Amino acid sequence: MRRKIAVVPEKCSGCRVCEMACAIHRQRLNNPKKARIRVTTIYPHPVVRMPVVCNQCKDAKCMSACPADAIYRQNGVVKIRHDDCMGCHACVEACPFGAMYIHPDIDVPLKCDLCEDSGLPQCVKMCPTGAIVFMPEHVFGQAHRLNNVLSYTHMKEIEYMEHGKPKRLHYADNNAAERRDRTGGER
Amino acid sequence: MKKHNGGYFRKILHVDMTGGSTRTEAIDDEFIETYIGGRGFAVKLLWDNLVKNGPTDPLAPESMLVVAAGPLTGVYLPSSGKNSFASISPATGLFGDSSMGGGFGVELRQAGYDALAIVGKGRELSYLFIDDDVVTIVPCPELKGKGNLETEGRIRDRLGDHGVRVASIGVAGENLVRFACVTSEWSRNAGRTGIGAVMGSKNIKAIAVRGHQDLPVAEIDKVIEVSEQAYKELGAHDMMGHWQRQGLMGVIDYANVMGILPTHNFRDTHWEKSKSINGKTMLASHKIGNTACFGCPMCCGNINLVKEGKWAGTVTEGPEYESAAMLGSNLGIDNFASVLRGNHLCDELGLDTISTGNLIAALIEGYEKDLLTLDDLDGKPVMWGDDDRIMEIIEQIAECRCVGATLALGAKGVLERWPQLEPIVLHVKGLEQSAYDCRGASSMALAYGTSDIGAHHSRAWTVGKELEMGADWGIDEKADLVIYHQHIRSLFDMFGVCRLPWIELGFHEDFYAELYSAVVGQEYSLNDLLARSQHVYDMTRAINMKLGAAKSDDYPPARTFTPIHSGPLAGKVCNRDEYEKMLALYYKKRGWDEQGKPPITCD
Repeated sequence: MRRKIAVVPEKCSGCRVCEMACAIHRQRLNNPKKARIRVTTIYPHPVVRMPVVCNQCKDAKCMSACPADAIYRQNGVVKIRHDDCMGCHACVEACPFGAMYIHPDIDVPLKCDLCEDSGLPQCVKMCPTGAIVFMPEHVFGQAHRLNNVLSYTHMKEIEYMEHGKPKRLHYADNNAAERRDRTGGER
Repeated sequence: MKKHNGGYFRKILHVDMTGGSTRTEAIDDEFIETYIGGRGFAVKLLWDNLVKNGPTDPLAPESMLVVAAGPLTGVYLPSSGKNSFASISPATGLFGDSSMGGGFGVELRQAGYDALAIVGKGRELSYLFIDDDVVTIVPCPELKGKGNLETEGRIRDRLGDHGVRVASIGVAGENLVRFACVTSEWSRNAGRTGIGAVMGSKNIKAIAVRGHQDLPVAEIDKVIEVSEQAYKELGAHDMMGHWQRQGLMGVIDYANVMGILPTHNFRDTHWEKSKSINGKTMLASHKIGNTACFGCPMCCGNINLVKEGKWAGTVTEGPEYESAAMLGSNLGIDNFASVLRGNHLCDELGLDTISTGNLIAALIEGYEKDLLTLDDLDGKPVMWGDDDRIMEIIEQIAECRCVGATLALGAKGVLERWPQLEPIVLHVKGLEQSAYDCRGASSMALAYGTSDIGAHHSRAWTVGKELEMGADWGIDEKADLVIYHQHIRSLFDMFGVCRLPWIELGFHEDFYAELYSAVVGQEYSLNDLLARSQHVYDMTRAINMKLGAAKSDDYPPARTFTPIHSGPLAGKVCNRDEYEKMLALYYKKRGWDEQGKPPITCD
């Protein structure tokens, strides 16, 4: 089962620990500018902090843009063959997510390879707020799926006491839904 | 002499705004071992400038502005995003510095500099652009009068690079307000001692930095091992979740329960309405996000939005405890949206929230007590909680208009114009007191009184410890604690790291000695480093003595000697005799003479 990195921008604080963990483990250097994951921060309208990192796309635009065929896929991970890379950076421009990075000291673009496919990536391991997760591909979209389903049903709530503490329970009133037509109006 | 194999670029960038010239100065191992970095480097540079030029007006061209990150700034360890802004303070006329978080210091280091020292005055309003080793002064008359956010955005647009870090001044700095701050990344401020005015006096609107270099680290495997253990320990801390949710806003409840929350210009230290401005209120109705300084797992920054009412649409990063207390309870403002509005205005205009809240509170009390007339207030009264009028005054301070023109002069200027306010303006050495009352804990009174920069809490925050466990302390324990804080906290500023993991989550100081040793590739014990820090503290004392400071400047604000009349600490007061004894003991323990003169002189 393939796993890949997903980011939860709502949880990102912009601390850049992911950048440092990446650079220090992969480049053996204390230089967040040499990371393969980088936090982009926008404020004040809207306020967004989002780590941007390679999605390991199935039809990778970086791969098709490479004039030297230096980008290839191995076991689902999109990688750059350093010997073949000519440093034209066409891949960096082609990536629709801006998830490849250039540093003046390094000719080959910096790109996530899931820590050489060695298990839990360092950025995921070190993120202090849980904003970067490593999950099976088929789980992608699950959060949206659940939200969508929950908002579709007729959610109601009741409050009740359990061991002296107030609790809240949500339920869908399918009985009430039966009285509605397909557009939601009363039948 | 130790040989340092990491931690430093060994370069100080000197800029003379008058002629537009720049040069780099190499520093050697002796310099490094003596001053460590950050605030330590800043103190040495200011010392040398003072010896060279003699005392000058802090806002004169000869005055020096230093920006210095430390050898741990930007290193892979928790909360390493700090750097110091320092100069002779236009508020106190003495040594002044303020520490800024965020990522600006990391970028300055990545450009290859351990410190930046600026003198002179530019011919027109300009920004300084440090692009790795290329340094340019770029005229920007179009940015005159612009707020901090717009300034940062326009400089990034002009350079075509969203990643450039910008530290700028707002209108307040341009107008030389004595408590103007330097602001970066929306709301990371070098807030205290008026460094923004020094920048303004040099015609510098902003410093933009872009750097790509590797931070030199001698033993990288050791850094990884020690730091990852540290991140793990902090992450597992019971209070971590609370910190990530509330940050320093959690301190409002603490301060109120302990009886140290400044209320109505510190007349009271407990407020029945404190819930209206506390962390829970923020979480319930205003917080929309978290923000952190570089490398920090605590993410104590809160992003807040006002969704309804007259300030709807205000979005601000902050407040933290100091801003919420000084712009909230201390002004009698019980509407959290108004606190957010005040915080937003101060960030945009480039005003220190502590001094702003402190002086407006003195104005309100002065008017209430008939020490000021309606004429003094331009015919418009101001009362506790009068948020419309208070917001107007905040803008007037930055623009040096109407009553704001007097407040803009800081505590010293206010008292020159209105000497009758002496009993109600809370300041030490001309710096307005921050948001912890010290009458219930005399060690805190000593901390405020003896602080080199004036009444600022972060030099020695001893109030919590004394109230919690110091019931039977004598003056010996109190003086020791203040001195220890003044040294360990200086050391954090010299390293370029934040004190919060230590003071709030109990993270051990030995960690920093171990990490520093790994970064420089030399063994240093905590005691070695504290000895360096003590030397730097003696140097700031010698600088202050040269600039005219005396024992009489080492006393807490007058109100400290009048009792608290309500709340959990009702009746508590700082005893003058005890203070005298404590101060004498403090001098003695420091090896200073009876008048507080240190063993070294600045000449």
